[in-house]
Amino acid sequence: MRLNEIPVDGVPYDRLKIDQIPASPAYAPRDPELVPAAGRTLVINPDRICMPIGAMWAVLGVHRAIPFVQGAQGCTTYARYTFSRIFKEPATIATASFHEDAAVFGGRRNLIEGLRNLVVRYWPEVIGIATTCSSEIMGDDLVSFVKEARVKIGEEIGAEKMDRIAMVIINTPSFAGSHVDGYDRASKAFIETLATGRDNPDRRVNIIPGLLYPGDIREIRHLLEEMEIEATVLFDISDTLDAPLAPPQEIPYYPPGGTTLQEIRGMGNALATFALQPAAGASGARSLERRLGVPAVVGPTPVGVDATDALLQNLSRITGREIPSSLKIERGRLIDAMADTFHHTMMKRVAIFGDPDTVTGVARFVCELGMTPVAVTPGTRTKTFEQEMDGIFAGYRELFLDAPRVFNGGDLFEFEEYLKTLPRLDLIIGNSKGIDISRELEVPLVRVGFPIYDRFGYQKRPIVGYRGAELLLYEIVNAILDFRYPDDRTQQL
Amino acid sequence: MPLFNMKCDELIPERGKHIYVHDPENPVVPACNIKTIPGDMTERGCAFAGARGVIGGPIADIIAMVHAPVGCAWYTWGTRRNLSDLHTWALPGRLSNVAFNRRYCMVTDMQERDVVFGGAKKLQASCLEAFRLFPEARGLIIFTTCTTGLIGDDVKAVARQVEKEVGKPVFTSESPGCSGVSQSKGHHDFNIQFYQQVNALRARRPELKMQDEEKTPCDICLIGEYNMDWDLAAIRPLFERIGVRIAAVFSGNERIENLIKMLDVKLNVVHCQRSAEYIAKMIQDGFDTPFVRVSLYGIGQTSDALRQTAAFFGLEERAEQVIAEETARVEKALAFYRARLAGKRIAVYVGGPRVWHWIRLLEELDMEVVAGACTFAHEDDYQKINDRVKGQVLIIDSPNEFEIEEMLDTLKPDLFLTGMKEKYLGRKMGIPTVNSHSYEKGPYEGFAGMVNFARDIYQGIYAPAWRFQHGLPAKREEAPPCA
Repeated sequence: MRLNEIPVDGVPYDRLKIDQIPASPAYAPRDPELVPAAGRTLVINPDRICMPIGAMWAVLGVHRAIPFVQGAQGCTTYARYTFSRIFKEPATIATASFHEDAAVFGGRRNLIEGLRNLVVRYWPEVIGIATTCSSEIMGDDLVSFVKEARVKIGEEIGAEKMDRIAMVIINTPSFAGSHVDGYDRASKAFIETLATGRDNPDRRVNIIPGLLYPGDIREIRHLLEEMEIEATVLFDISDTLDAPLAPPQEIPYYPPGGTTLQEIRGMGNALATFALQPAAGASGARSLERRLGVPAVVGPTPVGVDATDALLQNLSRITGREIPSSLKIERGRLIDAMADTFHHTMMKRVAIFGDPDTVTGVARFVCELGMTPVAVTPGTRTKTFEQEMDGIFAGYRELFLDAPRVFNGGDLFEFEEYLKTLPRLDLIIGNSKGIDISRELEVPLVRVGFPIYDRFGYQKRPIVGYRGAELLLYEIVNAILDFRYPDDRTQQL
Repeated sequence: MPLFNMKCDELIPERGKHIYVHDPENPVVPACNIKTIPGDMTERGCAFAGARGVIGGPIADIIAMVHAPVGCAWYTWGTRRNLSDLHTWALPGRLSNVAFNRRYCMVTDMQERDVVFGGAKKLQASCLEAFRLFPEARGLIIFTTCTTGLIGDDVKAVARQVEKEVGKPVFTSESPGCSGVSQSKGHHDFNIQFYQQVNALRARRPELKMQDEEKTPCDICLIGEYNMDWDLAAIRPLFERIGVRIAAVFSGNERIENLIKMLDVKLNVVHCQRSAEYIAKMIQDGFDTPFVRVSLYGIGQTSDALRQTAAFFGLEERAEQVIAEETARVEKALAFYRARLAGKRIAVYVGGPRVWHWIRLLEELDMEVVAGACTFAHEDDYQKINDRVKGQVLIIDSPNEFEIEEMLDTLKPDLFLTGMKEKYLGRKMGIPTVNSHSYEKGPYEGFAGMVNFARDIYQGIYAPAWRFQHGLPAKREEAPPCA
């Protein structure tokens, strides 16, 4: 800012010299007694959000569907803000706008009026109603409220029109679980409410992708197309949260794509349901199996060679389709890339954090690359995380430099303090919340998973399938080269 | 035309009280600061967002303890760009990557059993642990939310207890998300509660007041300034150069120690007059400290702000000198943008005051405001808007998403100044947008900031991407590729 004349390009950040003032005279280590999350009540830097946003994510993957959040306005606004930060897309979500009166008298009036106002102006095909802390604490009886709303709105617009609009109630009190559980509950609620019959079995399969990005879902679709399998992808955000700019837009804006109501209604007819992420979507798959006998295939998240192999083999087994040579070529290219890069990945120490199934998927893949996962943590605690990790590590332990430290359900503060004690760390794989620790430790961060908001394009780049793994591999190896290798050592890689 | 209803609102006629086209002959003030219509696709946030996100968040050296389930805390962790220069140590010899107020998210993580049995004990343990882990913190603010508000935890008692044990000030901010009609309620709550608690603290511990030897004849407090994207770097030197000392800022990059002393200044200079004028009024009532209302956006308004402040202290000459120098510094750049932006039609949708702050600024760039909308403005904001706009301008109070779409669709402005949620909606409709809450590449305040703002608007309007928005042409004109 000490420029004599401000140039046309204004004051770029590098010209804006801001001092960094230390908050205390010198470094003092954090009280070791309080660093482990189990040793304190306080949660510092949680790597999880609340259930409602997971439910909203799911609803946004349904064609002409609008989430309706039964709570205060912040519960919606903050979630929309988060979706826009990640996807760089608008996210249309309605709120019951709880004010004091709702807190006193309950949310009945807000729900009924709110649904009415949403229906008559937006004409959605599906409304996914997610509850929040406040509505759950007040004990809103959503089932009877929705019934009442249906009758009331039906009187205004005609019962027939009302019947065409599906409503799904998803109970997501924010004081339990996390966004991962919110998505999981949405999968169950949608399937139980809408997929009611197995009257006309077909050759389709159901895919519940979990908290995967549009690029991942497109990659899954690519695998299915190559196998000539028709599929219903439940909560398909690949178009709804990655829409082209193509004005003029009709108003109100509805993004293209999404799973159609008809597809969801027919899920009971499928050959099987593949829940790619056990923590996010398995409940839906299992419920369909229990009720209508559609077999559930749960996990593993198809990241890396082995897990993608497993997905294709399972698909082949259930549909009777051969795995085509085109996919075998993709697999071959991935193995070729792994063979070309192992000098730069083997014996490298990596720390992984994120949603549980992202972590298990990525951990499995880095093992395949000969890396040592020195620390792994899922933001959301799951019952099976340690066991899954044991299973993954079993085949690779002899290649590990150190024994992996498996956290389950701690917070990122505990994780970063642990990383700071490690004598050596080469790479961190995780979401945007890892950038501070990456800068402070001078260890590169490879961005994977939810949420990534501080860079562009990650939501479009797959990590699943052979091609996704190949892209992830290049991210990993190039991050290591960028950080660790002098330029004159990289002339022949 | 006075109040009217938009096409998309035919079936919610109440909205007709919130929308008008300004007529200078017959100015109206719409219904505002009232309850939102459920399900109308409002863009409003909650009171907690106003208290924690807007005013509490920028304070540099306190622990922001969110007494809630994990979500409310996560959403307010390092999102709004209220930057600071106070860094904690990451490792020996290395400061943390971002400032303390954005580095850590602290939350009591209320679980079902806490909802049933109460969370006060958990809160107290969490506060004490936070002070043990972060001894560099100079104080703590407990923020309540829907959950802890509804179950009625006595957070004040916890605050007293923790303060007694730790010896550092502990404040409470009780603004559950479901209180009030918008984030504006949270601003108001924070102002009142903070003022009362600071007063009480000063009564208990008079040594925390500004001591006589610290005082200078020209102490001011800048109120309603949150240091978005380092606005303070553009603003603070201006005041210093005219000989005024900014003793405290409420609350951008401010230390709690200075905020406790903010009651001892000679003059309060109020920038955001929606979120923080309350405290200026309370200080005026309680301490006879006058305040001036200013705008720190744009050349004319920033100059006026400096003049008003200088006039109070008799420093007019120095102010004129600073204004002349600063204006000269940005002249060339602004001329560049004025030539390119003249005549462009702008729609502005922000929280409240920025709409009227920016009308004059946009005029300085010879642009025209064709529509304005505010999330949580009150009557006085609309009066200020009416005083400033020229000609027929569409004004919407607490717009919902559909109204914004209809506004963009019918008016087709050249640029839409708006927030994060609406920014991508505008772009989908082919209308360039600039993030007007946390900025694209700020600071936007003051003289130098004005150039940044003009640059971001220019980049929005002139980005070649818009040339390609209408799809692949059916036919390409034949032309030699290297002609």
